[in-house]
Amino acid sequence: MFTDKIELKDFDKMDPEYKDLLGRVLTIQADCEIGGPHLYVETMLPAAPTKLDQLIVARTAAEEIDHYRKVAHVAGDIGVDTSFVLSQPNEKRFVDTFRGLITTWEDNAVFGFLIDRVGRYQLEEFYDCSYLPLQRILPDIVTEELGHIEYGYNKTLELIEKGDEGKAKAQKAVDYWYVRALDMFGRSGSKRAERYLYWGLKRRANEQARQDYINEVNPILEKMGLKVPDPLKGRRYM
Amino acid sequence: MPQTAPNTEKIDEHLLEVVQALHGAVKRGIPNVKDPKIADKAIQDCKEILDVIMEGKVSEWLN
Repeated sequence: MFTDKIELKDFDKMDPEYKDLLGRVLTIQADCEIGGPHLYVETMLPAAPTKLDQLIVARTAAEEIDHYRKVAHVAGDIGVDTSFVLSQPNEKRFVDTFRGLITTWEDNAVFGFLIDRVGRYQLEEFYDCSYLPLQRILPDIVTEELGHIEYGYNKTLELIEKGDEGKAKAQKAVDYWYVRALDMFGRSGSKRAERYLYWGLKRRANEQARQDYINEVNPILEKMGLKVPDPLKGRRYM
Repeated sequence: MPQTAPNTEKIDEHLLEVVQALHGAVKRGIPNVKDPKIADKAIQDCKEILDVIMEGKVSEWLN
């Protein structure tokens, strides 16, 4: 296991596999950060139920754009240009979850509640990672992601509290996003994930992070009065 | 030191301005959500800024 801590000045001396994996994970992270706003800005900024919600949609997008900016700068410093993800269509996003469009308010709420939570997990993988410039940008980004998760949770709860119709809408959205959230952790037993662990770029195997997520989310869903979807139904990456 | 990717600083500076402008509009709007004139203007400002970013014409931002 690689246990050193690396600064930008050390990067050139690193093993090619380390350089390749770091560039790859930064590119995917940058794509996920900008992929979020591309899912909901066009549809939800005009359609959010109140002016306050419209402004919070805009603020969330601003924060995600800023996350992209910070990750892209860390990537750019090691010679990895991630600017192509600013203009690529949703269907070409690295992660399946970002390849569609959010068209309903309940999907927007549950997206924040469930998918931004996966985003938090992905960022937490880099806590204490071997590349210090990446580690340094995390605290502010994670704090803002926590705000997005809380907002999504509160908006989902609002829907449930409106009665049977709202609860049915929330359940439908949870059924849709839950399996996508689980897929976002990648394949169990992934060889590439093992290499990320070896190089100290991540701290958990895919299946461990996914199980931790399930252990956190399922009790919340149950407490909200929602059914936990079948964790295997509709999954693409097991 | 590795060679920095092209336009890293320029894109960073542009996006930082965009983010600050968005936060400025949001901060004008949120305390005034009950005043449709101010809130609608803030939302419209956000929309105009975000439309440009969503369009993703990076080369135009840099010129």
